[in-house]
Amino acid sequence: MGKSIPIQALTDLPMWQSIEEGALKLQFCSDCDTCRYPPAPICPSCLSMDSEWRPVTGEGTVMSWVIFHRKYFDDFPPPYNAMAVRLDEGPIIVTNLLDPVPGSSLIGRRIKLEYVDHDGRKQHGARLKEAD
Amino acid sequence: MSKGLHKVAGVVGVGDTDWRADYAAQRKGEPARFDGIGLASLAFKRALADSGLKRDDIDGLIVGPTTPYERMGEVLGLDTRWGGQADAMLGVIQACMAIKSGLAEVVALVYGNNQRSGKVNYGGSNAAGGQSFLSYVYHAPWGFTSQGALYAMMFQRYMEETGLTSAQLGQVAVAQREAASLNPGAVMQERITTQDYLDSRFVCEPLHLFDYCLINDGGVALIIAEAERAKSIRPDPVMIHGVGRYDLNSGATSLEPRLTDYYLPAQQKVAEQVFNMAGVGPEDMSSAQVYDSFSCHIPLALEGYGYCPPGGAGQFLEEGHHRLGGRLPVNTSGGHLSESYMQGWAHQVEAVRQLRGQCGARQVPGCNYVHYSSDVAGKAVSIIYGR
Ligand SMILES: [Zn+2]
Repeated sequence: MGKSIPIQALTDLPMWQSIEEGALKLQFCSDCDTCRYPPAPICPSCLSMDSEWRPVTGEGTVMSWVIFHRKYFDDFPPPYNAMAVRLDEGPIIVTNLLDPVPGSSLIGRRIKLEYVDHDGRKQHGARLKEAD
Repeated sequence: MSKGLHKVAGVVGVGDTDWRADYAAQRKGEPARFDGIGLASLAFKRALADSGLKRDDIDGLIVGPTTPYERMGEVLGLDTRWGGQADAMLGVIQACMAIKSGLAEVVALVYGNNQRSGKVNYGGSNAAGGQSFLSYVYHAPWGFTSQGALYAMMFQRYMEETGLTSAQLGQVAVAQREAASLNPGAVMQERITTQDYLDSRFVCEPLHLFDYCLINDGGVALIIAEAERAKSIRPDPVMIHGVGRYDLNSGATSLEPRLTDYYLPAQQKVAEQVFNMAGVGPEDMSSAQVYDSFSCHIPLALEGYGYCPPGGAGQFLEEGHHRLGGRLPVNTSGGHLSESYMQGWAHQVEAVRQLRGQCGARQVPGCNYVHYSSDVAGKAVSIIYGR
């Protein structure tokens, strides 16, 4: 067993840095404005290789969620949740719900990202916009 | 129109290893008898014996992804004029392509995996492929890891959208264990009830322990020969009637094709290709062998290949059409959930044995066509086997 560690690569360093700074930035195509997530050297829509990094609103809608009952990481004692959220800017990201998981479905619920300390690094989590 | 790879080649030999005995020995703390190469070697010897061929008849070699290609050929003493490394489904397709193009005539496909004794991890900080598999790189910092979790995330949404219940999904595990109870080689043979399934612990909710594949050591080998040669080798070669493939790569890391339509468009494209090439339809299939790392592959395949309408898998499973004796017996060996987790390789062997009529108590009567399908991380593949 070990800890969860972000693996950083040339194309995605600005993303990890923006999370550490508490305001997620994503990469957008300079030519057609398509969001590249995960970050990439080329636009999958128009094949432009120019891009810019912009902060996102941090708001989105829950696509799905799971609850881990098995331990995979020392820094994530089970049970813990993970959610797939479609950001208003388009891409689907994975994050954790910071509120208690309600008994009802989370799918379709609106969320806003927050930034929390996790084992010595900062990362995003989600709050339900309307309390359960 | 070209018939593509229709009846270009047939399977003339199959072999596997003693996964039930090996599993039991390791549970008692005994050391493994073989590593991955050893397991593949044993399966190869058995497949060769099953075919009646001599080693030197083989002129092509496909090695599964878990053992190195050159070393595998070296230990088996195989110098070949064509070869490659591939997973089970693409290995069968590539063998047919090589045979059709004249690059090989008799291809051995070998696979060995000591994933249990070798303590291979499929999730966590040292998951197999974790440094390069982007779904892990981008999601692990939030604790989201393992193939099981990817399918749990996908299936949670599918269940809400279609109304399929846990009890209906549980019919996959119940039926495959029932089939495994009739398979003397299966690792898990004790039958389970729907209640046992519902009472079993969650690994990644909504998936239960019984939704997950086994982790065990084993090897599998197949020998595939050009059609005319196959008929001269044995009177009952199992012919490959059709193949198909479609990959959904766009948005794969961000789970887009999983969460928006559950890979359905990929499977529908493959269905069109494979059934056209084979000249038959889903109603002609005697059995289906579906790659089942997780039980939820089965309902997705049933819908994707037209065995039931989209959203209709819950009812199909509840009515038991996938069980032995049902309209479409699925994973008649017990599959990855109960027989052996051989990453799709043992499914090919089961298809061959069903068509030969060698399956004893779990034999599907009048077995004419067997449909193999897999959807692994958005890559949908199908093979139709027949006489
Ligand atoms: Zn673009």
